[in-house]
Amino acid sequence: MFYFSIFFQYASQYLKTRLTYRGDLIVEIFSDFLFQAVNLVFILVVFGHTTLLNGWSREEIIFIYGFFLVPYAIFSSFFNIWDFNDRYIVKGEMDRVLTRPIHSLFQIVIERMELESMFGVVTGLVIMFYAGNQLGLELSWYDPFVFLFMVIGGAFIYAGIFISLASISFWSDSKTDIMPMMYNIGNYGRYPVDIYNHVIRFVLTWILPFAFVGVYPSAFFLGRTEWYGYAFLTPVMGVIFLSIAIILWNSGVKRYRGAGN
Amino acid sequence: MNVIEVKELRKEFKSYSSRSGLSGAFRDLFTRNYKVLRAVDDISLQVKQGEMVGYIGENGAGKSTTIKMLTGILTPTGGEVRVNGMNPHKEREKFVQTIGVVFGQRSQLWWDIAVQESFRLLKKVYRVSDEDYETHMKEVIETLEIEPLLDKPVRKLSLGQRMRCELAAALIHNPPLLFLDEPTIGLDVLVKMKIREFLKKINQKYKTTILLTTHDLADIEALCDRVVLLDEGKIIYDGRLDQLQKNWVEGKEVRFEFQHPVELGSLEMVSSQFDVKWRQGERSHQWIAMVDGDDDTVSKLMSQVMLNHSITDVKINHVSTEEIIRNIYEEGMSHG
Repeated sequence: MFYFSIFFQYASQYLKTRLTYRGDLIVEIFSDFLFQAVNLVFILVVFGHTTLLNGWSREEIIFIYGFFLVPYAIFSSFFNIWDFNDRYIVKGEMDRVLTRPIHSLFQIVIERMELESMFGVVTGLVIMFYAGNQLGLELSWYDPFVFLFMVIGGAFIYAGIFISLASISFWSDSKTDIMPMMYNIGNYGRYPVDIYNHVIRFVLTWILPFAFVGVYPSAFFLGRTEWYGYAFLTPVMGVIFLSIAIILWNSGVKRYRGAGN
Repeated sequence: MNVIEVKELRKEFKSYSSRSGLSGAFRDLFTRNYKVLRAVDDISLQVKQGEMVGYIGENGAGKSTTIKMLTGILTPTGGEVRVNGMNPHKEREKFVQTIGVVFGQRSQLWWDIAVQESFRLLKKVYRVSDEDYETHMKEVIETLEIEPLLDKPVRKLSLGQRMRCELAAALIHNPPLLFLDEPTIGLDVLVKMKIREFLKKINQKYKTTILLTTHDLADIEALCDRVVLLDEGKIIYDGRLDQLQKNWVEGKEVRFEFQHPVELGSLEMVSSQFDVKWRQGERSHQWIAMVDGDDDTVSKLMSQVMLNHSITDVKINHVSTEEIIRNIYEEGMSHG
């Protein structure tokens, strides 16, 4: 309860600050939007040359992309920890975080949130409804609830992977370029995993389970029963990966060495 | 009751030392050479409630590392720490509710938002009730004279203004224990004085225990009865500040300026009952007496001399704390 009220305090402060710099905000939302549009165009270009991708139609792939945008938007609104090493370890901001009576990871989440990324949810929904319409998908009463679980699971997976990576900074203070690479790998989850070689498929399912952010949960809504098992694993994988990340984080904080003055 | 209870506290840092040259770099890939650096070396320390303790030492002596262990930021390598009856690192979130921290070189406040918005967020973070905030912070804001700064964003404040706001921010939850790591670094004399006065006031009013590190010994002289001197991770002195001065200064120096030139012989005759050495100053009627003894002896000597010779000026030279501490670092603690 306390954490909820703190969250809303920070969020309202954040909005207040952002609204004073309206220009910035609009530019940022616009560039996000453009980025998503480019991705969509890429999919359309690929299907300009073929009608089926290993049995998946163009509309299905667009649907998966739309779904992917939703958990990804939630992730990028709240887990901006790609620069954690620089900002908090090297510059010593972690000292300040650790002198406040709130869990350190939660503090970083609320300090670094970027709520404007939530617009991705809208884009994602629009794309999904468009593609769903083209495919003639029916919406059942339980679909929104399943969708919610899938989205939360997907966001948790993303968060878990990136928090784990950030935790490495507690052990090694050297800079790594692993974060941008991981953003790239994350994009592979947007495409049906059966188009990849089986090693990549294994990695995307069990090691860096980005497939659970895009293709697996979407398979449920697309009615591809052969993937249902994986689809329903999404929330479970989310909880497992986030838990591992938090355990890693907590043991990392004990190792924190501080920055010299 | 001891607010801070530290027993054989130790912190070691492992640091890799790389070999030289390209072949060295290759060897580093497989076997790393590392040295263990002991930043804090078996420190034991007790601080009672209401004490103001100055924690001093050269750069790299281990001051900040100790403070970071006492505030729960770093985990000790060995030893026991109990602050406010808690283990700072184990019960961090509960523990930090009972302390206030100011790092002179780091800001607690949000850079882009108005000072009062920062205060409001911190008030929520520390779960301070509206009444407590009203009564306590009103006074803090008044004493630190930051009322006109409250609606300005932190990035527009000068260093002195910011520091006063930082101090207020650290006191939002009225903690019984306050850690200040170089709170006056880079500030002008006026702001320093204001901050010192304020610290004295809250110490008297709330019996707030204060642990202070600083490079400005004037801070320590103005505030702390007790100093803890640190060198290479070890405590080399822990006691009263005036005791440190007494132990270190063997006697005093009195500088007389006479109206007329005076002979050494006549001075020695007048002061024969004292243990004193005379030395000629830069001019013929200036003499310096090195007296061995307490203040009483010094004043007796002065009256004896003045009875026999007319003077224009007399000055007792104290050795400054700064000088004492410099001496300690240069020569070790053997005198004390």
